[in-house]
Amino acid sequence: MIRLSGRARSALIIGVQGIRARKLRTLLSMMSLFLGVLAVVAVQAGAEIGQRALLSDVELVQGKDGTLRMYLPPDPHTASVAIDALKGRGDAVASFTTSATIGEPGVTPINPGGAPLDRDNNEGYAGPAGPVFCDSRGYCFGQPAVNQPKGAAIQLSLVAMTGDIRQFQPFRPVSGQWLDFASAPSLGPRIVLNKAAAIGFARYRIPAQLSVGSGVDATPRIVGVVDDGNDQPTAYVRTDELLNWMPVDSMSNGGGLQVMLSPAATGELQVLRTRLIAAGIPAGQLQVEPIDAKKHIATELTLVRRVFLGLAALVLLIGVGGILNVGLATVGERVEEFALRRAVGTSRLLLAAIVLAETLLTGLFTAAAAVGTGALVLKAASTVLAGREPFLQDIGFPWQAGAAGVIAGLIAGLLGGLIPAIRAARIPIASIMRA
Amino acid sequence: MTPLIELAGVTKVLKGQQQPRTILSGVDLTVHSGESVAVVGRSGSGKSTLLSLVGLFDRPTGGQYLLHGRDITRLSERRAAALRSAEFGFVFQRFFLLKHLTAVQNVAMALVNGQGWLPRRKRKARAIAALDRVGIAHLAKHKPPRLSGGEQQRVAIARALVREPRLVLADEPTGALDTETGNLVIDVLHSATERGCGLILVTHDWDHARRMGRVLRLQDGTLADAGPEEVVRERAASVGGPDIGGLAAGAAGGMLGGMVVA
Repeated sequence: MIRLSGRARSALIIGVQGIRARKLRTLLSMMSLFLGVLAVVAVQAGAEIGQRALLSDVELVQGKDGTLRMYLPPDPHTASVAIDALKGRGDAVASFTTSATIGEPGVTPINPGGAPLDRDNNEGYAGPAGPVFCDSRGYCFGQPAVNQPKGAAIQLSLVAMTGDIRQFQPFRPVSGQWLDFASAPSLGPRIVLNKAAAIGFARYRIPAQLSVGSGVDATPRIVGVVDDGNDQPTAYVRTDELLNWMPVDSMSNGGGLQVMLSPAATGELQVLRTRLIAAGIPAGQLQVEPIDAKKHIATELTLVRRVFLGLAALVLLIGVGGILNVGLATVGERVEEFALRRAVGTSRLLLAAIVLAETLLTGLFTAAAAVGTGALVLKAASTVLAGREPFLQDIGFPWQAGAAGVIAGLIAGLLGGLIPAIRAARIPIASIMRA
Repeated sequence: MTPLIELAGVTKVLKGQQQPRTILSGVDLTVHSGESVAVVGRSGSGKSTLLSLVGLFDRPTGGQYLLHGRDITRLSERRAAALRSAEFGFVFQRFFLLKHLTAVQNVAMALVNGQGWLPRRKRKARAIAALDRVGIAHLAKHKPPRLSGGEQQRVAIARALVREPRLVLADEPTGALDTETGNLVIDVLHSATERGCGLILVTHDWDHARRMGRVLRLQDGTLADAGPEEVVRERAASVGGPDIGGLAAGAAGGMLGGMVVA
């Protein structure tokens, strides 16, 4: 327990007495400061929540901050080496993205080239209708569209995974369930659609037939829908279930091969690199880069935060002016009290500390009120708006906003109390206490 | 025996805008423990300034000030505050009570001054004891606006005595009170000297001065006379100095001056 010195205790006791004796003036000081502190709290809370929301969106698409990502070149051996090397590893997942069609075979899909399905007319999309191939740099290209009759089929990206990718990309569940990687592989591939793909299946009657590349047909089972932040129709599937229907080498042909690893999985990374190099992949093509999601959004957030903090500081300054104004008026009224306190042995320094204690306590009370108000407003907003804004679900009041409010209140109390404190300390006893 | 305080040739000069103004000039004063001294003189003669210098509210421009034989003429503000707390008790014409505090809290405020620390219970006990000494312990929970002038001044005296000072400095403590109440206040102050505490009383009232052991008369900032009340009063009258009527007239202006601090 912190034990305050006699001087500090005296300053606090007299400060509290002063506040209790002048409740209305304290309230006036608090009112002028309240908006300033609330502005700081709101900016800080908004920035934290905004960062969380932005980060959450960025992580959906790019992956969690700090995750290691390795793109694998399209080579007949890469898929088999990666699947073998990462088998049973919890902290590393290989994924293979290829183009697939669900629905009637041999027709032009509703969304040629995997175009988003929420458009009224998908004809404007000029993407490839055939399989898509991606090179090691991430550039993708496809076969030109073939003249086929239109039919009930949806073209989408099919992502086959060796493990649960959600540890790196936290997809939000929408309905159904996620793939169960612990169970034995099923003959009929279980797939999870993203929201963009689910739109098509809700809108059209699509037969359950999965075509990957040429000649591979399987009957898929849709087990759930997730929000993956992608507006291109996408389906997720277990690699081992897909491999029941296609050779492992063909996975490498589709392009879009990548491995995601946790930052601690350096051992797995080393093994994978070594085995890929041994399989004939040039070491120069095996680039590993960490995902820097926070840095990605930091610049834009910092700018917005600075602009709003500047505005908040301006409002806070008005609050400081209020405390200063009330403080100076109060010192003027309390000249005799302060002279008396000095007469009974209170030093100038302690007298200044008493005035500062009062303004600091006022700042602290105001900060508490502003932080409490901010927390209540956020709670109410998250309750009312959670349905419309998913990022507001289960959101707590960020402690950074509370800390910023308390610091702002204390700084305002300090700045607003400094001049009154100096004035109080300079009060001459002799001229005031004479008869 | 070492005197409680000893002032030798103390001078106070105020720097005016055009020329310096001498308030006190070469004043000598010695007070022993348990001794009571009255200081009389016309308004502007330097009585309150002398009290300010003794009470360390201000510093002398010249001369020497010894407390228990130690030179304290030039003290740091912090040390002066500590000595004010430990050595002196002050009673003023205007009572300077804090109206938002009760009587016992007003007395206890002298114990919350950063000079040492007493727990709340001990502070309260000492404040009650001080109020008991001046005969108003039963009014401990009353706030100043509910007290009479005499009661308020007794609260102020209790505040001056609560730290057991060596010297009480009273600056016209009866100036705002009627004669009967004033006598009562002087009784209370006088009783403090019976416990070995020194007392310097600035007054315009010869009756009150008579009850002190010694009387000093200041005139134009210098010590004009010193001795027993009868002698000083007689000599003052012979040189055209203040008489009872003159002093009383000076005090009359303070009759309505009793106040509490907002």
